[in-house]
Amino acid sequence: MPRSGEASRGVGMPDLAIRTQALRKTYRTRRGKRVVAVQGLDLEVPVGGVHGFLGPNGSGKTTSIRMLLGLVRADAGTMMVFDQVVPEHLPDVVGRVGAIVESPKFFPTFSGRKNLELLADAIGAPRGRVGEVLEETSLGERGKDKFKTYSLGMKQRLAIAATLLKEPELLIFDEPTNGLDPAGIREIRETMRGLGEQGRTVLVSSHILAEVEQVADTVSIIGHGRLLASGTVAEVIGGSGRTTVKVAIDSPIDSPLGDPAAQREAATRILAAAGLTVRAEGNYLFVDGAEHPADVTRRLAQQELYVSELIPVRADLESVFLELTADEGLGGTR
Amino acid sequence: MIRLSGVELRRLVARRLTLIGVAGVLLITAIVLVATWNNARPESEDQRRQAQAQYEIAAKDWELHGAEYTKRCLEDYATMPDPKDPVEVYCQTNGPSIDQFLKPRAVFAEVMPEQLLGGSYLLVFAAFLIGASFVGAEFSSGSIGNWLTFEPRRMRVYGSKLLAAAIGMVPVAVVVYAMLLVGTFLIIDQVGITAGTTGKVWGDLTAQAGRGVLVTAVGAALGGVVGLLLRHTAAAIGVAMGYIVLVEGVFGGFLTKLQPWLVKLNFDAWIQHDATYYIDNCQPTSDGGYGCSTITKTLTFEHGAWYLAVVTVVLVALGAFVFSSRDIS
Ligand SMILES: Nc1ncnc2c1ncn2[C@@H]1O[C@H](COP(=O)(O)OP(=O)(O)OP(=O)(O)O)[C@@H](O)[C@H]1O
Ligand SMILES: [Mg+2]
Repeated sequence: MPRSGEASRGVGMPDLAIRTQALRKTYRTRRGKRVVAVQGLDLEVPVGGVHGFLGPNGSGKTTSIRMLLGLVRADAGTMMVFDQVVPEHLPDVVGRVGAIVESPKFFPTFSGRKNLELLADAIGAPRGRVGEVLEETSLGERGKDKFKTYSLGMKQRLAIAATLLKEPELLIFDEPTNGLDPAGIREIRETMRGLGEQGRTVLVSSHILAEVEQVADTVSIIGHGRLLASGTVAEVIGGSGRTTVKVAIDSPIDSPLGDPAAQREAATRILAAAGLTVRAEGNYLFVDGAEHPADVTRRLAQQELYVSELIPVRADLESVFLELTADEGLGGTR
Repeated sequence: MIRLSGVELRRLVARRLTLIGVAGVLLITAIVLVATWNNARPESEDQRRQAQAQYEIAAKDWELHGAEYTKRCLEDYATMPDPKDPVEVYCQTNGPSIDQFLKPRAVFAEVMPEQLLGGSYLLVFAAFLIGASFVGAEFSSGSIGNWLTFEPRRMRVYGSKLLAAAIGMVPVAVVVYAMLLVGTFLIIDQVGITAGTTGKVWGDLTAQAGRGVLVTAVGAALGGVVGLLLRHTAAAIGVAMGYIVLVEGVFGGFLTKLQPWLVKLNFDAWIQHDATYYIDNCQPTSDGGYGCSTITKTLTFEHGAWYLAVVTVVLVALGAFVFSSRDIS
């Protein structure tokens, strides 16, 4: 059930950095099989801030990004980047767009600096910019080493340095934290947030939601090459209509209902009968669907079950995501 | 496009395989010159004495039996069936001379064209390899995708790569041909015959070298095209080698009539200004047998030029088509 474009249909039409409509791509594999990678994607990325582009493995994130960058030809649909139709007018906007698609790929036997110099020359950027971006990405002293000797984190930083050569208004990062350690992940996250705060637009694709949730202002969730939901993080989570409360039962040990495990079982029965969804996890019960957390306390107290802890749990993007993509999986492809 | 070609040229020059390839070509050229000197060198005192001794034995033998040998040979010749070589070829009527026992002296105008043709093979092979690796490596490493996010106009990217490969090989070819021409001349001037090297001879040789420079540049560009089509340096080299061995070697060897449509002969015709080739001509003879003779044929310079031009245009166009429609992933 797609819930699309709630953010961008607010008051007035905010400027869009990226807009795709009915975008389609079918790959033909060597053995003649057809793989529908993107099927009718409508994506809207507002100008400014970080936009998370979420979807499980194989949902068509990389393919969509490649199409936007003119690397892969779309079968149907339209794409606009900063109000220019791409790939037709890509040469006009490419100077404003920096992108890293999948793993960073440079000439392996050239140094990081040499790689950047060639790119700077190709776009006519001043050579001095190379030193600056190397410093900005803290690659300064390793710049003269061969690219193939870099660690994954350094490769990723070099790729970011390369995109900064253009001083881009839109940055597209495809799974930038793939394979990085926690420190590396945090560094990339901070870089993205910094870029977003400078007023640039960052589109970051990922299948790791926790990570995007922390930096993204807005998100789009796709599955099987189609948009499932989009909007601000709050909207997407709120739109799922869930409030979860975490409950601990603490009745006297001589309760007629028996030991704590039996009490939890009884509580589950009572709450389920009231139409709520209950899931047991350790000594806690997670209760979904209550309009008010106090409802839970009241219903249990009526049956002489006393609640010692009651914590409302914010629904996270992860569960929304799983819910959305699970529906999609069951519904199959149209 | 000009800026982009400049960048590509800088990348070409910075590549290790380019440097190794060029160093290899220069080394082989130097070795060829040493071999030339070795071949053209007059015989040593020792060899000369041996030749003299052999000559003297032969001369003495001729003095004693020469008349008899001639008479017997002429009788044999008369009984041989037609067709046959002229009698002067079949029977020796003069006594031996010392020259027959000595090494013939190298003549610059005769040695040089072969030398230049050999140099062209070397250069075109190296240029193809360097060009194939220059473009193929970008596809195998995936860096082409990154490059295209900086310059998405594919035809410019394509053109700049081929142009850089071609331009980059020109100075290499010029240096190699200059080394061969000047080096061989100096060597033969010392130990052979350079007299009779007229302005026209020099003109022809320079023109030949000039055509060699041109095909070297084209070879580098076509190497780039094949590298792009196959996406790997090794695949491009493998296909080129396979073609040379299978098509040029095996097919060309068995079906000699096919030669005018193979690359090598057309290449020779372009470099040497006409090339000769031989085809077997087998026919039943009057006495019911089967006789074969070899016919010498000429492939014209124009044929070679057209052939190479068409092959180049077709390959470059094919590469452009494939690259412009290829998904880069
Ligand atoms: N070059 C290709 N040839 C054939 N099929 C492809 C190709 N590239 C991608 N696909 C298929 O298209 C679909 C979408 O792939 P894509 O790489 O866009 O997904 P993704 O969302 O980026 O996944 P991940 O999170 O794993 O990176 C997948 O089913 C994939 O197998
Ligand atoms: Mg991907």
